[in-house]
Amino acid sequence: MAAIVCVAVLFSASVAQAASIAVVVHPSVEVDDLTFAEFRKIVLGDRQFWPGGKRITLIVRAPVADERTILLERVYKMSEAQYRQHWVAKVFRAEIASGPRVVLSNEEAVDLVGVIDGAIAIVGSEDVPEGLKVLKIDGLLPGEENYPLDR
Amino acid sequence: MRLQSIVIGLLLVSTFVYGADKPTATIAPIKYPSLRLMGFGDVNFYSTEDGDGNKESGFRNGQFVLHLVSQLSSRFSMFAELSFTATSSEYRTEVERLIIKYDHNDYFKLGLGRFHTAISWWNTAYHHGAWLQTTIDRPLAVRFGSQLVPIHFVGVVAEGAIPSGSLGMGYIAGVGNGRGENIARGGDAGDINDSRALNVRVFAKPDVFYGLEVGLSYYSDTITPETESQEVDEWIGSAYIVYDRENPQVIAEYFHIEHQGVASGETAKSDAYYVQVAYRIPQWKARLMPYTRYESTDIAEDDPVYTREFDLERYLLGVRIDVASFVAVKAEYRHESIDSGPFLDGFFAQISFTF
Repeated sequence: MAAIVCVAVLFSASVAQAASIAVVVHPSVEVDDLTFAEFRKIVLGDRQFWPGGKRITLIVRAPVADERTILLERVYKMSEAQYRQHWVAKVFRAEIASGPRVVLSNEEAVDLVGVIDGAIAIVGSEDVPEGLKVLKIDGLLPGEENYPLDR
Repeated sequence: MRLQSIVIGLLLVSTFVYGADKPTATIAPIKYPSLRLMGFGDVNFYSTEDGDGNKESGFRNGQFVLHLVSQLSSRFSMFAELSFTATSSEYRTEVERLIIKYDHNDYFKLGLGRFHTAISWWNTAYHHGAWLQTTIDRPLAVRFGSQLVPIHFVGVVAEGAIPSGSLGMGYIAGVGNGRGENIARGGDAGDINDSRALNVRVFAKPDVFYGLEVGLSYYSDTITPETESQEVDEWIGSAYIVYDRENPQVIAEYFHIEHQGVASGETAKSDAYYVQVAYRIPQWKARLMPYTRYESTDIAEDDPVYTREFDLERYLLGVRIDVASFVAVKAEYRHESIDSGPFLDGFFAQISFTF
């Protein structure tokens, strides 16, 4: 009986902590809320500056990560191949000088967001440390009902 | 009590396992300048037959293109596109684009240098990268060496977003040298007359139709063609609609060109358009994308500027196969006719890549 309870407790804890993807930004970013369309423009590279004039540095997880998969499926609506072609084209058209910075872990992502002015990243909500700002998307925070980036 | 202690203990353990601080990564600083080199290339095979039964076939190297980009500061960047094109006697080297760009914000970015003219969506979307475009060749109206619309533009170009909410509007506006004495080339070594060319494009990418872009472009210039004794005023208007989600991909452009002799006042009007449709088949790892395109150019008989443009009609049917992440094989059949007379049928194949 105790073992069953322990397993249930551990399972429920892990499920709750992995339920949401958070959009985090450097604390100096003067934005608290983005519409889904605005967020999409940022991750597409169509929008490259915050309202105050800071350049947006986009940080994304490497392939296979849950966070990247959700980004591709829900926001980009692209396959990996289309995603790669999108950024090659963007650079080739002289719209940007380089694509997003790719990181191997959520820890690396939050480290970069914490020190790069204007940075934005998509990480698991359980990996967001103190001091980083979590943006609302369409007025919703991770874990709230109808949040568009739930796992 | 003992059970509660066990549960609390396990909860604490799980919290430690899932919530503990992990070692932080070493963060690389941003360095300027940060030069990156990319490239495109393609190799082709063709087999054609005209209406008189004349056949030609062979292999041909496509353009080898190098793209250099460097972030020079947080606001300045540089872009260059170099091409190496095979001719019958040599490889011709060209600086296709050379741009120094300043990004003030999303609403104002300023570039100076040599650009691909924003009179055509295709011209600014695909440049010289065959791997980027779905089909083997460009539409006739914007083919390299075309006289129909100016492909290159030397001058200053401003671009950015237009505050328009969910309409997602933007603009590109440029002032430059216009066409050279060889009207298929831009005025690379300076303007051959005192009249600057003006090019403006306004477009919209509405949020509600993700992947859709519509736009209008305008171009005006005074040309001093080497084959004419008078200067010619040129106006070009174009419109496009693009849906580029690959399920389907639809690209359509229309051009209207007017040439008026400054001395004679006589006006010649020409038109051109194309419609391309493609669809990426979701099965088989989504590697296959069949496509088709129809295109037409209707050139005024007494046009004072065009020396090698004709009424052309072409349709093609093909398939693109993405055999690897950065390699695509394309095969297509084309039928084209000139002035509703001589025609050419052909099979074309291409392997294109980027690196």
